[in-house]
Amino acid sequence: MSHCVCQGGKHMNTSATRRSLWLARFCASAGLLLSGAAHAEYKFNFPEPVTPIARETLHIHNEFMLVITILFVVVFAIMIYSMVKHRKSVGHQPAKFTGPTGTVQWFWALVPFAILLFIDFILMGIPAVQAIIEMEDTKTRADMVLKVTGMQWKWQYEYPGTDVKFISTMSTPREQISNAEAKGEHYLLEVDNAVVLPVGKKVRILLTSTDVIHTWWVPQFGVKRDAIPGFLRETWVKVEKPGTYRGQCAELCGKDHGFMPVVVHAVPEPEYLAWLEQKKAEAKAAAGGADRTWSRDELMAAGKEAYAKQCVACHQPEGQGMPPAFPALAGSKMVTGPLLGKDGKIIKDSHVDRVLNGKAGTAMQAFRNSMSDVELAAVITYERNSFGNKTGDMIQPAQIKALR
Amino acid sequence: MSIATTHPAEHHADHHPSGMLRWLTTTNHKDIGTMYLTFSLIMFFVGGAMILAVRAELWQPGLQLMQPEFFNQLIGVHALVMIFAALMPAATGFANWMIPLMIGAPDMALPRLNNWGFWILPPAAILLTLPFTLALMGIGDGAIATGWTFYAPLSVQGGMGVDFAILSVHMLGISSIMGSINIIVTIFNMRAPGMTMMKLPLFAWGWLITAFLLIATLPVLAGAVTMLLTDRHFGTHFFDAAGGGDPILFQHLFWFFGHPEVYILLLPVWGLMPHVLSTFTRKPTYGYKAQVYSFIAIGLLSVVVWAHHFFTVGLPVPALIYFMFSTMLISLPLAVLFFCWIATMWKGAMTFETPMLFAVGFIVLFGIAGLTGLILADVAADAQYHHSYFVVAHFHYALFAGGIMGVMTGVYYWLPKWTGHMYSEKLGKWHFWLTVVSFNLTFIPQFFLGLAGMPRRIPDYALQFAEFNAISTVGAFILGISQLLFAWNIWLCVRGGPKAEGRVWEGAEGLEWELSSPPPHHSWETQPVVK
Amino acid sequence: MAPAVSEPFSGDDLARRRAASRRLGWAIGIAVLALYIIGLFFKR
Repeated sequence: MSHCVCQGGKHMNTSATRRSLWLARFCASAGLLLSGAAHAEYKFNFPEPVTPIARETLHIHNEFMLVITILFVVVFAIMIYSMVKHRKSVGHQPAKFTGPTGTVQWFWALVPFAILLFIDFILMGIPAVQAIIEMEDTKTRADMVLKVTGMQWKWQYEYPGTDVKFISTMSTPREQISNAEAKGEHYLLEVDNAVVLPVGKKVRILLTSTDVIHTWWVPQFGVKRDAIPGFLRETWVKVEKPGTYRGQCAELCGKDHGFMPVVVHAVPEPEYLAWLEQKKAEAKAAAGGADRTWSRDELMAAGKEAYAKQCVACHQPEGQGMPPAFPALAGSKMVTGPLLGKDGKIIKDSHVDRVLNGKAGTAMQAFRNSMSDVELAAVITYERNSFGNKTGDMIQPAQIKALR
Repeated sequence: MSIATTHPAEHHADHHPSGMLRWLTTTNHKDIGTMYLTFSLIMFFVGGAMILAVRAELWQPGLQLMQPEFFNQLIGVHALVMIFAALMPAATGFANWMIPLMIGAPDMALPRLNNWGFWILPPAAILLTLPFTLALMGIGDGAIATGWTFYAPLSVQGGMGVDFAILSVHMLGISSIMGSINIIVTIFNMRAPGMTMMKLPLFAWGWLITAFLLIATLPVLAGAVTMLLTDRHFGTHFFDAAGGGDPILFQHLFWFFGHPEVYILLLPVWGLMPHVLSTFTRKPTYGYKAQVYSFIAIGLLSVVVWAHHFFTVGLPVPALIYFMFSTMLISLPLAVLFFCWIATMWKGAMTFETPMLFAVGFIVLFGIAGLTGLILADVAADAQYHHSYFVVAHFHYALFAGGIMGVMTGVYYWLPKWTGHMYSEKLGKWHFWLTVVSFNLTFIPQFFLGLAGMPRRIPDYALQFAEFNAISTVGAFILGISQLLFAWNIWLCVRGGPKAEGRVWEGAEGLEWELSSPPPHHSWETQPVVK
Repeated sequence: MAPAVSEPFSGDDLARRRAASRRLGWAIGIAVLALYIIGLFFKR
């Protein structure tokens, strides 16, 4: 639905040429605006809805916008009429009434009131209640579950009932953000691992967070739900059309709040099932990583990769950090300190403890939940032997697995 | 800075200090009102400068001027400054100047409390903004970066900027509570004989309700930020699930204050409007009693609708339905107010000096705020609007077009009374038109940005949002620069200008217009009697 | 509650009103403080 912007309706001289020129200019700009709007499709409104909830929401919004536009135009037409007619400069004498006198005036005073009551509680209220009940009904006939965990500053997705679990981080290069490179088409709305969902199935979405409140939002799905640490929240979607749908975190969650997008691929069910099988196989392979001994070079390489994905945002590429919020790893007493206690157990507030268990009350989360044994072992080894740190030690995925 | 005050020939024995000491120790409601207004104007420009820096960053996609951490500080401090250091002190300045004049009292009931209430503000403002400077010196990592809403657990994580903000908010709250006590007590006890409550000017009624809201809700905010402080430093777990607490408790506590706060910002302006409209239409106020009852209804309702600020948090269905309907209910007394304003204009003999221009602009643009507020109340649709630029546009229509333009209405209306000089009508009209046009240029695109899916509080955005962001930034800069005309006009008016009579405006009615412009030192030295 | 409607406040009357104001001011202030302190003790 496009909105035609009204030109100011200026009072012109009565010359015919000036009037037709004005009319021509008006039509041209209106045409331009409308054609622009048509090209942009939903540029002035919600993006195309692809779930029943999104369609319902768009419908409610359009209806409500129409109602309030009519109210606005009617009320202010009356006011503008008064401003033109009831002026001192045209000689109008001021009246003295201070309230309704007589039945007719009481009628004029009370009818708008009644109309507004009707609009609020009947016209808009009843469909709204129905929509709310439908929106909140996450369990009826749900076909599958997706678990979403918000983290600073990425999303983790899990498919309960399988071992499929992965992190989805923004994949727009920092060079594009700092204007060193040209920006791609999906600038800030692209990720390394997107969520895949089957079309036509009701997906119950569970949400939580590991640190602060985040909000999962995909405009074309018409759902927005907070991810709250320590609690599980729910919503649901049933995607009706295959495609790629993009959204963003919608609750301020720290410095990279604007850089943790949501990307969902909705595909026909067979394709989804095939993808799921592939992911299950990958999960199995990754878990098996703890079953063998890794060489230093393998750990350093994997660690460098993991560091670039998980740690660099705060601790920076050369480990210099951004103190005091994000400590430096280069030359850090903690990182170059003892790896494990003499009994082979985790030392409190040591490097291993910090990476696995995080630090409560700060942005350092417990990475035990979001990184595999291999990734944890690799990144710890990498940090201890990079940025000028030369501990010379390393830790195996099997050790991490045992320490859990 | 000197405002001419007339000293009658026979003076009682009090010696009035001059210079800096005068302003530090004054208990005169007019002096204190002036200080509140001056402080407010300065902070308005401070908050404005911050948001212009933000809009400059948002001019184009990509990060050009600042890092996200600094961006997050600017947006939050902008809001805290505008709400607590610009709008509220301006309204309090109006109350101090005008309420005694309007009710026939020689001063506020508690003059020393009045002085203390003001002087808390400058230190509070310094505390709020000091972390910026400290960070430049390498101490701490900047001011509060959680947005003005302080949500836990992000605010538990934050650096010392949060602690400074908590202390500042405590001080700002105490100042407002002191002012509110003074206003309630003055209105109850110091009215001239014959001025019954139902003859109390509507501006005073607006502030009476405001004052009650402040004393009822500020303690809750104070409690919430204290609990945040103890979670941060003293081992409590109010907002930490791992310790048995709940982050959403913070949101309930904050918005229990936060929603009435927006009516606190608006009620003084709603009280002012009938005065202005009646004056420039040369007609008595329409629906005095209806407006009084509407103020009371809005005040009462405002305290039971807070959760509409966090509909997406996972509230139970009955709560969602209740809060939706109670929020929509507020549209009814608000509609009564609009009706009365327009009915006051109807069949009047209007002239359009600057105060009237601002009043009309306020009615139209605040109408947009109210109507968009109505659709925001719809829980289903709110899933799309919440925490998007649609909400940002809505509340700027409410708080800038409503609050700030309302304050500008009052300033133009009362400046001649305060200073004894007329302001420049030409500058005033230029200021009005530039403000209204650039304001809409700034915020209409933001409605569409929200609908298109742009979230709030992000320093950088996807390419489809670029066009409207650019337009909005252009509007914002014009808006900001236009306010210099306002400051200049005020400055010129304070210094001099054509003489203003006691009854500055032809259609002005009320006790305040029977005093000279400016009023004598003790305002009502002989108390009037109201028939 | 008010004095004779047709006359302004006398000096005494003003003093009484100011005293009443001080009392009311303290009462409201204590109520506010009570709201704050008691509120801190509420547990979920």
